[in-house]
Amino acid sequence: MKVMKRDGCLVNFEMSRIVKAVDKAFIAVEGASREQAALEIGVRAAHIAAGMDQVTVEEIQDIVVEHLQSSGYTEVAAAYQQYREIRDLERVRRGELYKISRDVIGVANLDLLRENANLNGDSFSGKMSRIGSEYAKWMASHFVLPAELMRAVKDGYVYVHDLDQYALGTTNCIFIPFNRLLERGFNTGNGSVRPPQSIMTAMALVAIIFQSQQNSQFGGVSGSKIDWDLAPYVGKSFRRHFRKGVAYLEEAAQRTSMAGILPDNELYIDNEQLKETYPRTYRYAYNETVNEVKQAAESLIHNLNTMSSRAGGQIPFTSLNYGMCTSTEGRLVSHALLDATMRGLGGGETPIFPQHIFQCKQGVNQREGDPNYDLFLKAVECSSRRLYPNFVNVDASFNLAYYSPDDPDTIIATMGCRTRTIADRFGRNRLSGKGNLSFNTINLVRLGIEHGILEGKRDLPDLTHFFKQLDHYMVIAVEGLIHRYELQADQPAKASDFMMREGVWEGGEVLSPEDKVRDLIKHGTLALGFIGLAECLKALTGQHHGEDETSHRLGVEIIRHMRQFCDEASERYNLNISLFATPAEGLSGKFTKLDRHTFGVIKGVTDREYYTNSFHVPVYHPMAAYRKIRSEAPFHELCNAGAISYVELDGNARQNTAAFREIVQFALQQNIGYFSVNHPVDRCPACNYEGIIGSACPGCGASEADENFQRLRRVTGYLTGNYTERFNSAKQAEVRDRVKHL
Amino acid sequence: MNVCGYLPESINEGAGLRAVLFVSGCRHACEGCFNAASWDFEAGEPFAEAMSMRILQDMLDNPLLDGLTLCGGDPFFSPEECSAFLYSFRKLCPGKNVWAYTGFTFEALMRQPKRRELALLCDVIVDGKFQMELRDVSLPFRGSSNQRLIDVAASVEHGDVVEWVLR
Repeated sequence: MKVMKRDGCLVNFEMSRIVKAVDKAFIAVEGASREQAALEIGVRAAHIAAGMDQVTVEEIQDIVVEHLQSSGYTEVAAAYQQYREIRDLERVRRGELYKISRDVIGVANLDLLRENANLNGDSFSGKMSRIGSEYAKWMASHFVLPAELMRAVKDGYVYVHDLDQYALGTTNCIFIPFNRLLERGFNTGNGSVRPPQSIMTAMALVAIIFQSQQNSQFGGVSGSKIDWDLAPYVGKSFRRHFRKGVAYLEEAAQRTSMAGILPDNELYIDNEQLKETYPRTYRYAYNETVNEVKQAAESLIHNLNTMSSRAGGQIPFTSLNYGMCTSTEGRLVSHALLDATMRGLGGGETPIFPQHIFQCKQGVNQREGDPNYDLFLKAVECSSRRLYPNFVNVDASFNLAYYSPDDPDTIIATMGCRTRTIADRFGRNRLSGKGNLSFNTINLVRLGIEHGILEGKRDLPDLTHFFKQLDHYMVIAVEGLIHRYELQADQPAKASDFMMREGVWEGGEVLSPEDKVRDLIKHGTLALGFIGLAECLKALTGQHHGEDETSHRLGVEIIRHMRQFCDEASERYNLNISLFATPAEGLSGKFTKLDRHTFGVIKGVTDREYYTNSFHVPVYHPMAAYRKIRSEAPFHELCNAGAISYVELDGNARQNTAAFREIVQFALQQNIGYFSVNHPVDRCPACNYEGIIGSACPGCGASEADENFQRLRRVTGYLTGNYTERFNSAKQAEVRDRVKHL
Repeated sequence: MNVCGYLPESINEGAGLRAVLFVSGCRHACEGCFNAASWDFEAGEPFAEAMSMRILQDMLDNPLLDGLTLCGGDPFFSPEECSAFLYSFRKLCPGKNVWAYTGFTFEALMRQPKRRELALLCDVIVDGKFQMELRDVSLPFRGSSNQRLIDVAASVEHGDVVEWVLR
């Protein structure tokens, strides 16, 4: 007969162990050993156990307790039971789960709390959320992940993002079809909402839709063409103001002949005849409309920065793309969003959300004479003050291919972080109504170290084995995506609630709550990401792609190889598998720690606390802006799941928007898909000075010791309030190391 | 002539993206100067041929640069050397413009032949001493409100100071 221990291994049954334990209980209760009685219990337990071929420790203990009680030793039974519970507790204390909660509650592990820069890990609800999330990760990695993937994760080759959502089958992010939701109205689950009749209401509902959708998924929520989506409601507001104006302002004769008779399709802002016939009413209606759009935009931006949708004070990860709609109504929306962002929040501070993305296109907004050139200039001015908008390139060859002037849903847009999801092998080659499902990231650095020259094992990089190993881990990472996809596809529509019921994910509205979502989510993308191309090249050849032209060529070759792999995998699995320049917030220090543990400190590779984001030239490498842009440009075309390039500006960008604009347009010309400029935005709460603040405020002279200067920086594409409070240690180190390209 | 610094790209010393050369030596001795170490005419290193070649090469290579800014020190304490450099700059980089910073007033520069020659090689001059009591951090490209951004060509044509405006 065998006993199964708690760790699952089988040992021979030994009666003496039971006798010893029971005797300890006698000593505890009666103060003296009772060998005879203990032996009796042991024998009886052995007798029962003998009838079974396998017994667990728990079962034996139950037998012992039962017999102590039935023999009248109730106190001893209680003592035995108590001892057992103490031992159980000790085991739990030694376990990972306990440590996780202890670290979260006691704020012992700052990096654990700051894994997500937008979550307040010091707050009660933030801790609650972290504990749940850490447990779900533990659960997924011990019981759900495929063994090979788990091994690759443990060994530091692959990272599974948002592991806490893996077992649940939650999906990542989405472009929301605001036009459809607003047109039809929607139901949040607790109440139904009619279609809005004015821009004020429409913008209020945009915030509610963002909030509701955020709870159906874990990643970003984005409007891919918000100027087009909201333009009709500006028109509705104008009509309302106009009718009101006629009623109050026009003469009696006109009032009776015209009021209420004017059909809707004649009441629009650009109707010149209307302007001539009713100059007073027109002026009134126009001014009221402009004013309403302005107030609506302001309250939208306040809403998106103040309403938490999740624990830990996390507000939805919202993004708004705009800039291409040339109608008067659409332009009013874009102007108002930019103006509101420049004005800032209540205290004039920079809004953290939403992420703004300006869609740039020749002939629309890039040159003097283009209908929306004024908006582009305003976007540049806004970005020079607020770090937003970023600039997405509709003209980039790989984006233009999908663009159809008749369909604004084909204008390229991004999720705030950089995710790009336009292509679909099942025909939905447009933005809204779908998104990314999940992504796994490959640690290029580890592979580089293992096959490079820097460890002194060889004079030339072993590229044959490098690519072989890269393929090996790409297979594991992609099979992991497929495994996760199966979990996601197997979910009933009711699990993602708002997203499916209201058709935020296109087609979800026709599913019954119990229907599986498989046929719909296949339109989404699975992304294979990578981190640390720079350190990988350094380890392979001794120089990264910012230092050496040959290394740069090798870098392009590696990324092209990865893209090819994704294209082939898409065919093999008949799914949208794409290559992603991973935004590496929580990840940036994790691989480095593991690799340093294995390989020690290697100069230029593992000697910093983080690895360089995706294909970026390292932030610590001094390089002219134009050269950085040229160096990173070729990678954009290869990363079809999204990428971003930055340059760092040293100086007060708001006083030199000419330079800012030239840099942005140069990047667009180089076929960069998505671009932004980083520059310091510090703010003095004493005098509201905004710009660069050293140890003292240039505005009022207040010193850092007396005033808590707000220092805004960007992480993974989103802004974060005070980076020294919310960034994890690796990210803080990266910010310290950033050299300015100008 | 010595130089004590070179920035291949900057947004802080004039409109657009600019290369900035810091010329050593200044006798204005303004209180609160941002760069007092550069007053010494011996600061930095001699402005050698290699350095001047490098700047011209950067101008030709970097499509983002709008031009060059002479900063200091005060380049107008070394007018002959600076003029010589700007003559080759003008010849080789026809599309780029030149800004210069000086503690002299524009009117004073116009009265002194060598300084006038250098001034006429510039597009925009930021003139006047830095005055602590007129310090204003909100002004672009200058430290105190007495300092002016002067459009050189327009001023010469007009016979009086014309301030430069962003177009």
